[in-house]
Amino acid sequence: MAFEDQRTTVYKIDPEHPESETLPTLRTEELLLNMGPQHPSTHGVLKVILELEGERLVKSTPVMGFLHRGVEKLAEDGTYHQFIPHTDRLDYVCAMYNNFAYCRAVEKLLNLQVPERAEYLRTIVAEVQRIIGHQFWLSAQALDIGAMTVFFYCFRDREILLDWFDELCGARLTTSWYRIGGVERDLTPALIDKLKQFLDYFPPKIDEYQVFLEKNRIWLGRTKGVAVISAEDAVNFGLSGPVLRGSGVDYDLRKYEPYSAYPKCEFSVPVGKNGDTYDRYWIRMMELYESVKIIRQCLEQMQEGPIMADAPSITLPPKERVFTNLEAMIQQFKLFSQGFDAPPGEIYCGTEAHKGELGFHIVSTGGGKPYRLKIRAPSFIHMGAFDHMARGYMISDACTIFGTYDIVMGECDR
Amino acid sequence: MSVMALTKKILQAALFYEIWDAMKVTFRHMLHRPMTFQYPREHRTIPDAHRGALGLLRYDDGQERCVGCDLCEAACPSHCIKVISAEDVTRPLQRYASEFYIDITKCVFCGYCVEACPVNALAMTKMYEYSTHDKRSLLFDKNRLYDIGERHLEDGKKYLYAHNQEKNVEESREYRYYFPQSVAKATQSAPKHLK
Amino acid sequence: MGLKPATNPDVEATSIELSIDGKTVTAKDGVSLYDVISMTGKIIPAMCYHYTFDPFGSCGMCLVMQEGKKAPVRSCTAKAAAGMVIRTEGEDLFLARKKAVEKHLSVHPLDCPVCDADGHCELQDMAFQHGVTNLANAKQKFIPEDTRSPVLDFNMNRCIACAECINVCKDVLMIDALQFMKKGGFNQVVPKGDLPLNCEFCGDCLAVCPVGAITNKFSKYLYKPWQIKKTTTTCNYCGDGCQMYLETKDEEVVRVTSPLSWKNKWGDRSDTAKGHGGLCVRGRFGFESLDSQSRLVQPLVRESGRLVEKPWLETMHGLVDRFVEIKGKYGPDAIAGLVTARCTNEELYLFQKLMRTAFGTNQLDSSVRYGHMNFVLASQHAVGLGRTSNDWEDLTKAKAIIVIGSNITETNPLTAVRIKEAVRVYRAQVVTLDSAITNMSKLASHPFLIKPGSEGAVIDGLVKATIDLDLVDETVVGEHFQAFTALKKAVANLSMDQLTAQTGLASEVFGEIARIFAESPRSIILCAEGIVRRTNGYQNVLKLMDLAWITGKLGRPGCGVSTVTEEPNEQGAVDMGAASEFLPGQGRYDDPEVREHFAKAWGTELPPPSSRAHLVEILKRCRTGQIKALYILGENPLATLPASMEVRAGLERLELLVVQDPFLTDTAKLAHFVLPACTYAEKDGTFTNFEGRVLRVRQAMDSRGESLPDWHIMTALANAMGCQWDYESANDIQSEIMKLLPGYYNLGQPRKALPTSERYSSKGYATEVMERYQATAESKTPTRPFALFMGQLLMHSGKLSVQAAGLITIAPNTSKLRMNVRDLEGLGLQEGAKVRLTSDRGSLQIAVQADQSVAPGTCFFPEHFNEPPVKDLMTVTVDATTGVPSFKQMWVNVEPV
Repeated sequence: MAFEDQRTTVYKIDPEHPESETLPTLRTEELLLNMGPQHPSTHGVLKVILELEGERLVKSTPVMGFLHRGVEKLAEDGTYHQFIPHTDRLDYVCAMYNNFAYCRAVEKLLNLQVPERAEYLRTIVAEVQRIIGHQFWLSAQALDIGAMTVFFYCFRDREILLDWFDELCGARLTTSWYRIGGVERDLTPALIDKLKQFLDYFPPKIDEYQVFLEKNRIWLGRTKGVAVISAEDAVNFGLSGPVLRGSGVDYDLRKYEPYSAYPKCEFSVPVGKNGDTYDRYWIRMMELYESVKIIRQCLEQMQEGPIMADAPSITLPPKERVFTNLEAMIQQFKLFSQGFDAPPGEIYCGTEAHKGELGFHIVSTGGGKPYRLKIRAPSFIHMGAFDHMARGYMISDACTIFGTYDIVMGECDR
Repeated sequence: MSVMALTKKILQAALFYEIWDAMKVTFRHMLHRPMTFQYPREHRTIPDAHRGALGLLRYDDGQERCVGCDLCEAACPSHCIKVISAEDVTRPLQRYASEFYIDITKCVFCGYCVEACPVNALAMTKMYEYSTHDKRSLLFDKNRLYDIGERHLEDGKKYLYAHNQEKNVEESREYRYYFPQSVAKATQSAPKHLK
Repeated sequence: MGLKPATNPDVEATSIELSIDGKTVTAKDGVSLYDVISMTGKIIPAMCYHYTFDPFGSCGMCLVMQEGKKAPVRSCTAKAAAGMVIRTEGEDLFLARKKAVEKHLSVHPLDCPVCDADGHCELQDMAFQHGVTNLANAKQKFIPEDTRSPVLDFNMNRCIACAECINVCKDVLMIDALQFMKKGGFNQVVPKGDLPLNCEFCGDCLAVCPVGAITNKFSKYLYKPWQIKKTTTTCNYCGDGCQMYLETKDEEVVRVTSPLSWKNKWGDRSDTAKGHGGLCVRGRFGFESLDSQSRLVQPLVRESGRLVEKPWLETMHGLVDRFVEIKGKYGPDAIAGLVTARCTNEELYLFQKLMRTAFGTNQLDSSVRYGHMNFVLASQHAVGLGRTSNDWEDLTKAKAIIVIGSNITETNPLTAVRIKEAVRVYRAQVVTLDSAITNMSKLASHPFLIKPGSEGAVIDGLVKATIDLDLVDETVVGEHFQAFTALKKAVANLSMDQLTAQTGLASEVFGEIARIFAESPRSIILCAEGIVRRTNGYQNVLKLMDLAWITGKLGRPGCGVSTVTEEPNEQGAVDMGAASEFLPGQGRYDDPEVREHFAKAWGTELPPPSSRAHLVEILKRCRTGQIKALYILGENPLATLPASMEVRAGLERLELLVVQDPFLTDTAKLAHFVLPACTYAEKDGTFTNFEGRVLRVRQAMDSRGESLPDWHIMTALANAMGCQWDYESANDIQSEIMKLLPGYYNLGQPRKALPTSERYSSKGYATEVMERYQATAESKTPTRPFALFMGQLLMHSGKLSVQAAGLITIAPNTSKLRMNVRDLEGLGLQEGAKVRLTSDRGSLQIAVQADQSVAPGTCFFPEHFNEPPVKDLMTVTVDATTGVPSFKQMWVNVEPV
């Protein structure tokens, strides 16, 4: 990378006598500061080259790719099915949402209908994941700004949900629970009970988090009016999710392009006014309440039924049939060794993850493997607006601004 | 803004009211039981569905379940499984895995191999403490895998039940055909020349 | 011939029009409807169909709806007729096809996990494609596996009775080793007569089996298709140059598969003229030499009489020092080199360049000298083309083929398949002239058994009969009337009675053969080891050229005199100049213009033409001590040549013997330095097959142990000897060849070159021809009663195949002399009895075995085995013109002990 390291400007101290050589001059220059890739508050291996004038940011250039693992290329190597565990490792904080977005994209390519119960299950788990995501964001953001207590409380409650995931799918983070055409495993009554308990337990906790922050004058000082972005700019930078809604743009894919069980649930989309860090914080807090609402509704509405689509050429046969049944056995072998035959075509499917619009663009030339797969990662897109939003703020705000995007480098670098 | 409200606000600001508010929450938590536990001495209860280290299972009569079909190798997204199979000389037509390796350092614990296995020879267990100083020992070979399967047989079975791979009923162990090797009884009996 | 297109290349089938899915399609009359549909790009599933043979119609998958018929029809067995209205898609057809799959599935065992075909199984694909999910009343067959064959296992539980194996065996290969048999309530495929399978083991039945009913014993249960890396490469066994897929897993060769497979079942029947894509037993089952444990993995250096493993660096330092020392002390002519034609073109090129530039000697030769050189030189002399003028397509479409002195089904099985197709599809007349009962003679329209060693006389007779019966092409001979007169005069000296007595053929037979040959529009003479590896090979090829010339077959498309080669790259070795008389591109070594060209390109002086020496001469010079250092690349003269050549004495006298080989051969055991070389599976390059097609050899796996590709070793050697070679891959060498021989690679196609008889028949022909027809006119009365032949077996090729465990299992060294049953009876011998075999060169004791393919009065021993050393009974005759040593035939006494 070719950055000019010696961009030096000499300012004369006396502007009235610029030609005078006798006057003593003080040489000032812009300072180039490498923040990261190893820095506790850059949320992973992100490097930002900050151009500073004193403590103020003049220009900042994010340098990405330290966590690049070639996930998109990996997708071309395996079957569609085999890529699901790889999506876990994109935004490793919220694996379920990545699974969801990917499966939705493939289903769109295959034009596959998912059974109703599976849709409800997907929505429930996605919203649980949204809660986890926002909790994680809140704890990290508060920690960045200096409020450590919130971090502990958030993680305490997040732990409950991670254990719930463990019980549901066998892993706390790398879930791989969604399947193309449905979900891997149904919710057991015990899991539903636990979730219901959590729903009763959780809303007071949200208030509790807010006690620490809402009125805290340091928090307010560090967030209100910081990193303001206008609605127009936010749209132009392609921002999405809470970052976009913070600027007053009412855009949520769950409402705008309803999918899964969302159209059957009532919920509102909180929208901010000022486009500053505080508004984005507020939106996320409100979304926690909304998520609880959505989960409650889903649990009530959900009926018994199959959890996988009945499409023998795409979905796996039930295991007990594999043991006894040649057709199921053949299906099992074909699907695992060669994958299903996707129709040739090109699709894009965006899903409203808690960070913003997580989209998968798949190009298929037929056969069991994608020809090309591109991930529209919100973290990556949001980093594009960093320079714009950080200009003129203090160096200490830089951390707040990463934080407000809720970036995860696994997703950003892919 | 009324005078009252303004006064209250000034007062609150002067007294750092929000700190008292927050401290209230903090102090209340002093009365709670701690959420944390002391790990090496205390262990988490691991749910049945947990995807831990892989093990190979045997049938109740001690026969190896694995028939060396290599489907796990095909299903594995991280290419960490290697199977070499051969014909069992003592049982004609019977295929088995003569060598079976799982590079657990590469494994992503997705459980696809278990899902793929047409005889449920693989299962994930609750074993997660196998850290070592020697990386080479993390290439689990057939013996190690069967050993894990033996020591965590119950966990393995529970895993299979939890993930709908096998039903915890007698019928699930019946097979229509002689192939793959039947566990309890085949619904169609094998002819004499195969017995 | 059933429904396939009218396959007479001379007759154009009438064109018809029919409608398929609403589109009007033009097709040839009488073609299978299935072919017409697949021609339009629509693929209808069919499990029993393969384009190489006639449709069988057992699977019931290729159903289509024909307007005017109530039920769907099987498109494969239906003939396309004008005005047909066909629908190939629709729910009803889908369901009907699904029913057909279900029918097959319902008796199929649940053994995908253990089946080798899993992942490469048409039944699986079809079941999946048609979404079969719920079978009723499935039952199991419980047929025991037939494991009696050494190569293939028949698991008839999995069979879907598509008969592809039976059809390919009967129709394409004309071996007919399989049949259906009703056993245990099911129709099963069994070897003929339900005996253990005993056939040519080409494995094409295995290739076309759409399920796992026929399995390869060598790779049984080892790996599934998805674990295996598949590399397209060229077979290393004979000069046919078959393309094959080498399937490897890491360092292990799992199996070899052929382009012929149920996976590519759609094609035009006429395309098979270029090859049907199958392999022979050597190609398919002879792969175990590649990863054999006996491979050399470390350089060996002789230290106090023993070969000791040494690292490469040390070995090369020592080796180069010795070479430099010898070159300095005795001059460049103290060094000679031998190379095998199993190397790639690039390596052969590099070898001769190494010898001529780095060592500065023209004493080099290759295994082409064992026979093919006779043909090359004769053909070059006669028609100016140093290779055969006919390719597979010519052979397939020929109307008359004279196979003389060639056991083609054994030596070049895939070329034999071309002749079989000529017989079966194109109705060719095939004349076989051999002193053994070859497989081809069983299929030929005119099989003739001739007396041992009388090939030359047979040709004399044919030429004479052609002239006597006035079957000559007047226009062609008119152009060179003088030459023809000389020939006529020369032939007039021959007496037909004498020829008849010599050959054992009646004079009418000569006339008949001559007539068939002369009157067919496309006639080819195929001569091979029986001509070129025997005495007078050079002259006999020229006589065949004469025969072709006077009948007007020389230079006419689709006609000519052809040969086949034993080693994969014999033609390449000639083309690359790995012979003392040639420079690359077959330029004569003594041609100053050619010398100039290469001297300039290589930036060095070429050694003088006078110093040239061919194989026999090199070995002689080794014996006399003229040659001090011999660099042997893959050759094994000690095991190949009879004791009378005194190879051992020669090699032992050398100051430096370097052998570069993948295996520790007999010759290598005498060497001072043994350099481990790679096999063809571990390097890139090209082979030139006998037709002149340049075929790619691709690296399938990493080199075994410390072994290195030959070009790599030679480059290192040359650079150490002071050359500046910067080849980093076979590609670099290739680009150099491309520059020097423009158009050689020619995208792998043989360059069409029509041979011309112009030069041949004008210059000095008359004097030459007199000599030629007198030479064999002298009758030789054998002093001993039996003719002993050494030759090739189907399962083996040279000495390489004995390293392949699989081939040795199929055809082990029986250490027995093969004789005709009548002779055994005449001598009062039982199978396995010991006899004393005596020739002019000595005698040895050997057991006998009956062999149907051995003619009475002859006996046979495979040349691949030296245990017992039958080869040492042979005398060597060296051809005066070409220097080819011939030692494959001998008169012997067989006496019971």
